[in-house]
Amino acid sequence: MAEHSLIQRYNDVLLAELPIQLAEEVADGLAEANARYARQGMSCDDAAQAAVAEFGEARAVVAGLTRVSPAQWTARRLIATGPVVGGCWVVALIAGRAWEWPVPSIARALVGAVLITSVIVLLTAAVARRYRVAQRAGVAGCAGLALIDASAITMVATTAPTMGWLALLATCASMLRLVFVTRAVRPVLARGA
Amino acid sequence: MHAEQLKGHLDALLLATLEGEPRHGYAVMEALRESTGGRLDLPTGTIYPALHRLEAAGLITGSWSVVSGRRRRCYALTAAGERALSGRRADWRDFAAVISAALEGKAWPSTA
Repeated sequence: MAEHSLIQRYNDVLLAELPIQLAEEVADGLAEANARYARQGMSCDDAAQAAVAEFGEARAVVAGLTRVSPAQWTARRLIATGPVVGGCWVVALIAGRAWEWPVPSIARALVGAVLITSVIVLLTAAVARRYRVAQRAGVAGCAGLALIDASAITMVATTAPTMGWLALLATCASMLRLVFVTRAVRPVLARGA
Repeated sequence: MHAEQLKGHLDALLLATLEGEPRHGYAVMEALRESTGGRLDLPTGTIYPALHRLEAAGLITGSWSVVSGRRRRCYALTAAGERALSGRRADWRDFAAVISAALEGKAWPSTA
């Protein structure tokens, strides 16, 4: 049976905004609602209208699913833990007089730029109401933080004259975050279909 | 009853509808409607985020099947979900008894 144009439009929004599996799940429910109203004796138009009204705005459903998406979950945790990891590095770098290390200015500027960009995209992922925006921003933020952590660990290992316990602590914090990002980004990418 | 009044109780209601048999999203909504005599005024679309949140928390588990040519995701309670539901039921009984006692001006039964 061909779908009513109202149902089709609703499903089109879901398909445009959500990964295919999520769109299919909600579309199945909408088809069930439509069939239920038709069984109650409503006309095709009335049944479709009642089903769409029962589900609520398609964009509200998308926003609800975005709030519980792996991308938003990951972004919120990275934002919450970011100051702790960052604080460890600030203390370690000040204690190790990092401004005296032979690190090229361009490398310092690049790390700073990647850090700021990562924070901005993670904030975007954390508050996005659109699933794909949260997903793309979440992946970009994860990649940026992984790059920052890997760079910081490499810099301390290769450039620092001595490895104090503060630098060791900061390195451990970054390694923990790298493990978290690696594990968290998999479900984010898995929903990308 | 409006969605606002359900805040904090939706998860327990969803877990309760999945007790005994797995259901898909819309069947969960129908079961809720049936068990409450149609008094829940909740947009059905809000069920899906809640189900996904419960799945991420490990309280329910989802599986795919094909019905009438459509892919369908059904959810079932996990062991952790069953424990969570028992806990929520006990909490609710305590909460309802305390509030009822206060609103109706009866003394809360002492357990001492």
